[in-house]
Formats: sequence, structure tokens, C-alpha cells
Amino acid sequence: MLATPRLTDARILVVDDERVNVVLLERILEQDGYRNVKSVTDPSVAVTLYDEFEPDLVLLDLHMPKLDGFGVMKLLEDRISGDTFLPILILTADIRPEIKRRALSAGAKDFVTKPFDRTEVLLRIQNLLETRFLHLRMRHEAVPEGQAT
Amino acid sequence: MWRRYGDAAYTLMTLAIFGFETIALGALSLSFLLGSATGIASTPVEGILLGIVISTASALGLLGLYLLSYHFISAMRDRHHADQIDSWTEWWVGLALTSTDAPLEDVPERHRLPRVAVDSVLSLLEAVKGEEGDRLKEALAQHGVDTRFLRKARAGHLTSRLDAIEGLGKARLPQALDPLLGLFHHPRAVVRRMAARAAAGTLAIMPPEPGPDGPHARFVDALRHADLQPGVVQEALLLLETRAGPILRELLADPELSDSLRWVVLETSGRLGLADMADQVAASASHPDPELRAATFRALRRLGTVPEGAAAALLDAVDDEVDFVRVQAAHAAAFLDPDAALPALEPRLEDQSWWVRRAAAGSLARLGEAGVAAVKRAAESHPDQAAREMAVQILLEADELTPAAARLASGVA
Repeated sequence: MLATPRLTDARILVVDDERVNVVLLERILEQDGYRNVKSVTDPSVAVTLYDEFEPDLVLLDLHMPKLDGFGVMKLLEDRISGDTFLPILILTADIRPEIKRRALSAGAKDFVTKPFDRTEVLLRIQNLLETRFLHLRMRHEAVPEGQAT
Repeated sequence: MWRRYGDAAYTLMTLAIFGFETIALGALSLSFLLGSATGIASTPVEGILLGIVISTASALGLLGLYLLSYHFISAMRDRHHADQIDSWTEWWVGLALTSTDAPLEDVPERHRLPRVAVDSVLSLLEAVKGEEGDRLKEALAQHGVDTRFLRKARAGHLTSRLDAIEGLGKARLPQALDPLLGLFHHPRAVVRRMAARAAAGTLAIMPPEPGPDGPHARFVDALRHADLQPGVVQEALLLLETRAGPILRELLADPELSDSLRWVVLETSGRLGLADMADQVAASASHPDPELRAATFRALRRLGTVPEGAAAALLDAVDDEVDFVRVQAAHAAAFLDPDAALPALEPRLEDQSWWVRRAAAGSLARLGEAGVAAVKRAAESHPDQAAREMAVQILLEADELTPAAARLASGVA
């Protein structure tokens, strides 16, 4: 039986070109007990960090120079197997429905609009992580004993 | 980045170097003209040449040194600025996330916050709202940043005035709303534009207060009477975000609303996807102005719904005398009942406008089996060549090509 990990043990990757936003999210998560948070302000290194860190959740800004959030999701798509549930929470100031639709079809699982409310962002993170861990647990239970890696 | 500081010094140095070289080269040319051919090798000319070479080398060396120093100093300044921003950001974040019971005594006892501290907190206010945002605003008010911004926004040089309005827009201070609304009548268009953006952003985070004296009503009133370009109004309405709905409804309900403002409201309703406004949007479906009719159908298409009461007007508009109205109506007809839409859209496959033909074929393909069958029929046997080609094109895009249409498609290609 796989022990359900505590949410605060989850690995969270923050990708936002604005240093201010990164610091804010890091402190919010830290204050709420999350201990494994890594962040990048250069989206081009997000994929490398993803490979090293293997996050349970990605907090992603959409509008970034050089490589935007859609580009990051495209690169991540190649690394995420079909049966893996990797939640991507989009943080954006853009509320246009077409942008949301495009992001959802690119792999995003939820949205938080900037400026965001601390409680709201923490609740969304919690919900996505709970889903992630349930998914991992189901996968583990589906694999015959002794074959689980 | 290296042009950010010291432009004047750079220009003066370049001028001095080029001036000096011009004089030296002029002296050399004069000596050539006055001397004989053999004079080139004379000692004075050699002396001049030597002097020029030395001075040019010195000047270039000096210039190079200046450029290197300039880059170095700029990089140092940038790093220092980034460190300061980081430091202030950490401080502001700490303040914002402090328990709400704690007093704001940690705010440094400074009468005037440095620019970097204000920039840092304004960036932070663009990211956070709620209790955390309120604490930051409270700290700003304690330092008089709000009053300073308001004072600068009303008077002074245009640049500092625009900076102040932008700052107010980022800070989203409720106390700044009315002064910003007052700037909607400023003689300078750029001030009006910045004020509209800042006021909308501020209103977006204010709690709704219904009533004729509430902030929403004041904003609507200012918007109605301001001389703002349609694009500026639309931007402001979009910036209202979740607060846009009631304001758009109020504006659309006004029978005396100007046509240009009504057009903007229709466009914004569609862009924001406010589907619950479909009935109000559809009320302009028979407006005498074709721009407004087109905007109505474009909005309904974006909302993805056509109210029953607007179906007749929409079907009429598919056959409108103005082509751009027909285009938008044909697009919106995809959301009608197929039995009603099919007979209206099929004849539009042979419309004189390529855009109408495309919209009609596209909408038919979205009407389900009957619509796709109509497009397939058109692709294979429509008597009008333009209609056949458009139907084939749509089937190609929808991956619904029939063998007969495929033969036609290869002919089209």
C-alpha cells in the first residue's frame, strides 16, 4: 500500500519571468508549509529544471519574452507520458476566454488571474496536488506488486 | 542598455574627437596643397603625420576606455538596482504576508520611500490582491505615496504626470478613482487614455456598490461623457475583468447611448464571453447602422449562442445588403437551429463575396449531419464554380472530403 504523501512534500516548480512574482509565490508557499519549491525566471531553462526536479505541480506564467507559457507547455508535452497527470496552473493577467481555451487545450489544468488572492491560489494548488497524488496512487495500485518502480 | 546613461557625455566626446581629427586632417591637406611633391617627405609634413597618428590613437584609446568604463559602470548600476529591487521585494512580500493581526510598525520610518521601493511595491500590487494587497496599500498611504501620485497626476510635466497615473493604475487605490475619473476630460488624449486604463484597473478590484452614487455608476457616467477613442474605451472595459458585466449591461440598456460607444460595448461583451448578456446584445440585431448589426452578430458568434428572439433578425441579416453584415450573420448562424439556418445559408454559398461564401460554408459544416451533407452536395454538384470550390475547401479543412469532392479538390489545387 502506497502511503499518501503529504501535500506539503509536493515538488512545485514556478516559472515566471517576473522576479517579484516568483518571490511572492515562493514566500506564500513557504508560509503554507511547502518545502520543495524551485523557481526560474528564465523560461528556457524550465524544461531542464523539470527533468531534474520532476515536479508534482507547475505554476506557469503565460506571457513571457522569448519563450511564452504556451511554448513551455509544448516542450513539457513531449516529456509527460499520456497516463501521467501533471497539473499545470496558469498564472496570468489575461482573462480573455480564447486565451483560456488555448491554454487548456495546450495542457493547463487550472487558472489563477493576476492580481491573485493568496487564499485562492493556495486552494487551487491544494486541489491540483490532491488530484495528482490520487492519480499517482491509482497508477501504483494498477501496477502488479513487485513491478512498481 | 549602454545608451541608458551618459548620452550627453558620449556625444560631446564624439564631437571633440571628430572635430580634432578634422582640423588635423585639414592642416595636412593644406600642407599638401602648398608644398611640392617632394615636400611630402619633408620634416614638417612628417611631423604633422606623426602628430595626427599619435592624436588619433590617443583619441581612439580614450574613446575605447570610455566605452569600456561605460559598460562596466552601467552593469554595476543595473546589478545594484536589481539587488535593491530584490531587497525591497523581499521586504514588501514579508510585510504583505504578515499576520493580519500584526501592526504595520515594521514600515521603515522614512518620510519618502526611494523610487526603487515604490517601483517594487507597485510591481507586487500587480500580482497580489485581497488582504495582502490591502496591507501594501496601507503602507503606501502611510508614506504618502498615494497623495504624491495624486498631486503629480493633476499637475506638472506631462512625463511625471503620466508616470503618476501609471503608478496609480498599478496601485489600484480606491481613493484614486474619482481623481482619475476627473482626468477623463483632460485636454490631452494621452492623459485621458492613461486615466481610463488606471480607473478601470482600480474599479476591477473594488467591491461592487450598487446605486446611482456607487463607483460603477460614476465610472459609467464618466465614460459616457468623456472624449475617448473607441479603442481606449474598449481597453478600459476589458480591464474591468469580472466587474465588466454590470457596467456593460447598464451601458447597453441606455437607449441614448452613442453608436460608437454601443459598438464598443457589443465588441467587449463578445470578447469577454459574457454569454448571459446574449439577449441584450441581440437587441441591436436590427440596428439601422450596419457597423452595429455586424458587431452584434460578431458578439453573438463569440458568445456561442443566439437567443430565440433574435433568430429572425439574424436570418434576415444573412441576406443583408451590406457584405460585412452578411459575413458576421453567416458566422453566427452556426448557432441557430439547423432547420432554420440551412435554407438561409445554402444560397450564400454563391454570394459575390468570398468572405460570405466562406462563412456560410463554415457554418453549414458546423450544423451537424444535415449541414455537412449540404456542403458535400455543394462540393460535388453545385452549379456555381465559386460555391463548389469553397465547399471543397471547407471539407478539406474539416477532413470530410468525399471521393467526388476530392476529385474536384485536386482540380481546384
